[in-house]
Formats: sequence, structure tokens, C-alpha cells
Amino acid sequence: MSATLAQLLPHPTRWRHVVSYMLSVYRREWQGSLFSAFIEPLVILAGLGIGLGVLVGDRAAAITGGVSYVAYIAPALMASSAMNLGASEAAWPILARIQWVRVYHAILATPLNAADVMVGAIAFMGGKLLFTAAFFAAALLAFGIVTTPLGAIGTIAATALTGIAFAAPVTAFSVTRQNDQGFAFIFRMIITPLSFFSGTYFPIENLPGPAQAIAWLTPLAHGVALDRAFALGRPLPDAWVHVAVLLAWAIGGTMVASVLFRRRMLK
Amino acid sequence: MPNPSNAPMIRARSLTKRFGERVAVSGIDFDVNPGEFFGFLGPNGAGKTTTMRMIAGVSPRTSGELEILGGDPDREGARIRAEIGVVHQQETLDQELTVRENLLVFGRFFGMDRKVIATRADELLELFQLTDRAKDQVEPLSGGMKRRLSIARALIASPTILMLDEPTTGLDPQARHLLWDALQRLKRGGTTIVLTTHYMDEAEQLCDRLVVMDQAKIVAVGSPRQLITEHASREVLELRFPGGTDSLPTTALEGIGDRYERLAERVIIGCENGEAAHARALASGLTPESWLVRRSSLEDVFLRLTGRSLDE
Repeated sequence: MSATLAQLLPHPTRWRHVVSYMLSVYRREWQGSLFSAFIEPLVILAGLGIGLGVLVGDRAAAITGGVSYVAYIAPALMASSAMNLGASEAAWPILARIQWVRVYHAILATPLNAADVMVGAIAFMGGKLLFTAAFFAAALLAFGIVTTPLGAIGTIAATALTGIAFAAPVTAFSVTRQNDQGFAFIFRMIITPLSFFSGTYFPIENLPGPAQAIAWLTPLAHGVALDRAFALGRPLPDAWVHVAVLLAWAIGGTMVASVLFRRRMLK
Repeated sequence: MPNPSNAPMIRARSLTKRFGERVAVSGIDFDVNPGEFFGFLGPNGAGKTTTMRMIAGVSPRTSGELEILGGDPDREGARIRAEIGVVHQQETLDQELTVRENLLVFGRFFGMDRKVIATRADELLELFQLTDRAKDQVEPLSGGMKRRLSIARALIASPTILMLDEPTTGLDPQARHLLWDALQRLKRGGTTIVLTTHYMDEAEQLCDRLVVMDQAKIVAVGSPRQLITEHASREVLELRFPGGTDSLPTTALEGIGDRYERLAERVIIGCENGEAAHARALASGLTPESWLVRRSSLEDVFLRLTGRSLDE
């Protein structure tokens, strides 16, 4: 089956109708997600500040570069929480619209093509990630971990990009699924380990060499590096490399998702 | 529009679709004319849904020609899909939205203006008797209502062609008749309608013209009346043998009518006069448990053409 370029690329404007469709759905549930977006960072920061932070004390000074351990891990947890949100938004809700509610079948009968649907769906996730990241940044400001406007804006942008860098490839995985069994594997074998080994609680340099290399291939390590630099106002010489890796995952994932979604639906 | 009013809306020549080794549609030819109610009749697996999917631009053909509204659905997909409303066999409504929101959201996919969509949505809710339920969620609706909502949604952008895949499967008789009435009204309004069905009565009631499909091929084309006249006798005598029909002597069956089909527990006899044929059957020593005489239907056409009954 050979597809023309126009069938593989999103239309300049049509994908936005998918975003507006998702917003119509979201309108019914946004209060709920507002609540969790507000509560989640507070729970994480309070729990760690009171618990782990006190336990670790100044013993981590060697790796934190002078800031408290909470201040060190808080921006990393912001990135990690975006990874979780991005991956789960790209899992069940995507599969449901293919397999259970089947609404994507109806959408592909309109002028929209497969790439429009994928780009629209992932763009919506990006919006939701921005929204959630803004609450997290507000909590970091409230706890005095982020102190500058650039820190707040920078962490919000880097966090949302980190979330999309997971949402896009997970979407590409979801569109190939017949049921949700594969998702448990993704979360247990990829998402959860990454949340520990991406420079979140300790520097990546403490990992054995090959593990370091793997960590740097995945998006979270780069999201953590960016968020930490923005939050703590530290220079980050390779910032553009981190952004480039995240963009590569986001754009590459969206492209692969579009091709696989088309293959799945247009038989 | 590159479609002069007399040209067919849909034109297929040697249209073929293969899935690996399996041939789902094998070199079929048909034309659907403007304003026509056109049907694909056949058992499950005959290739009807695949044909519909090719027309709707969501299944690229393997070979052959397919022209819809003057264009190739594989190359001008977006333009053609904008002119076609599709109602899928399985439900594809968004359960998280209300009845009316389902229509509003869908209009956006066709790039319609929000105000125009709102007006059109209210018209359609009225037409399909869903105005009372406009603000309700989709889930508690009955099967018939959901199906009407699916059709209303497919009509949001006022398509030139409406396509329905098995629209009344799973509906109770009253809901079916309500739906048939709605479709007749649409046809009178000038919409070209293409449907697939495995219900004979549905095809007979609704279609101006239809093709009978079996095993990936078209086995007959015409209006329901033409097909019956051409492929079936005037009346049908059905003899019922609950003990099976294998042991019945062929010589006895042959003399009764113009032709006969031996099914598992029934013998179907095509004839001019059913009463007279029944008398001949008894005279030749057959002892059916029960019998009936009826006018020939599309079911008999199908049986004649394929040697199988549709529900087998």
C-alpha cells in the first residue's frame, strides 16, 4: 500500500478540530483534573520535605551543589510527573477511541486523515501537560524552590515538552494494541525504572557506564536536567542538546504514531 | 463540481480488494446514480462492508477503478469524504458527550462554521425525533435512538451521499420501521443513499436498485422487482420435513414446480401456482409435516443464485 505525502502529513488546520473535540470532552471533567493538578505537587513536596528531606539533611550536599535535597529533587519530580501524565494520557484514552468507543473510526470518515487525528490528540495532551505543569511551578514558587519568572516559565515549558516526549511514542505503541495488556509492561518496565534512574534522586554519573548511556537516550534524563537548571537558576551548557533530544522523541513519536495509526485504521 | 448531473455518483469497474491471500472483493462493477437508493445485499463476509470502506475512502483498493463524485478516493480522499456521510455498523458515538454535542463536534471536523452547525444540529435532532434528548448523555439511549443519532451525525455537513452499513441490525421491529421512514424522507429530499444489508425485507422496502453479493462477487443487479421476475418464479411452495430432506426421492421433487432447492429441513419449490404445486407434491407421495405458499421474495433470488439461504 503506497500512500501519498498528503495522506501521511497533517493538514495545516484540520488537526485543530481534534483539539477542540477533546476540549469539549475535557469540559466535563476539568474540575477533577484541576483538583489533582493542584494537590499532586503539594503532596509530593510536603511528603518529601517533611520525610525524605529531613532524613537526608545535609548529607547530600556533595550532589546537590549547596541547595537542600528537596530543592534538588523537586524539579526532577516535576518532570517525572509529566512523564507519568503524558504516558497515561497516551495509553488508555487513545486505545479507547480506537477499540472501545471507536470514535476515531467516525473521525476518519470526515475530511481528517490519520496524521490530523494523531497530531490533534498529541497537541491536546501537550495542552493538558502545560496546564498541569503550571500548577507544579506555582507550588515550587510557593515553597521558595523557584524564585524567578524565568525559572517558572522555563520549568513549565521543559516539563510539558518532557511529557510530550513520552506521550508521542506511547501513542505510537497504543495505536498498535488490541487490548490494554501491553500498558502494564510499559509502566512497570519503562516508566517506573526511568523515574529512578534519570537523575531524579541522584546524579546519572553515579550509574554504571552503560546504564548512563541508556538513561541519556531516554527523554526523562533530559527533562530532569532542564527543569533542575531552570528551577535552581543554574547554567546548562548543553541545554540545546537536551531540548533537541526531547523534540526528537516528540516529533519522531508523532510521525511514527501517524504512520502506525493509518496502517491500523485504513486497511 | 466535476460531476455533471447525469454522471454516476459512484462508478466501480473491476474493483478488487485483497487482504494477503484472501480476496474480499473480486472484480466488481456497479454504478450508483444521483438520488438513487442503492443496496448491497448479501450474507456476512460477502464483501459488502469492504466495498463500503473503499467508497468511504478508508480502505485503499488493490486494483480496478473507483470513481466517487468524479474523483479517486485514494487520491482525493479529503474532498470526497467531505461529501459523504458514513454510518458505521458498530456504534462510534462519543459516550462522554451529550446527544447534541456529538453533532456539534462532528460539524467542526467538516470545517463548518459554529453557528451553521448549531442550526443544522437542531434541524437534525428534530428530523430524527431526538430533540427531547438533546442534553442527555448518549449511553442511556435505546439502540434505535443511538442509530438515529449516528445517522443525524453523518448528515451534519449535508452530504451528497449517505452510506449506511447494516443500519438496522440489532434493532427491534418498531425501531426499524421508524428508521426506514426517516431514510425514505431523506431520499425524497434528494440524498443519494447507499446501504448494505443482509435483510431481504429491508432491501425490498428501501432500494431502488441493488446488487446481490456472494463470496466477493456481484451475482445479480437490478431493482428488487426485476430481480424477482428475472431470477425467481411467481410463487413459492415451502414444504417442511423436520426429519430431514436427504431421503426424499429426486424424481418426486422434480415434477412439482419449475425448480426446487433442497435445504436441511425444507424444500423450496418455485412455481406459477403454489396451491396446484402442493396438490402435485401430495400426489407424488410426499408427506411434509407442514407447508406454505407465498409470493417470491429476494430471499428466493438469493437462494436461486447461490444455492444457499441467507441465514445459513
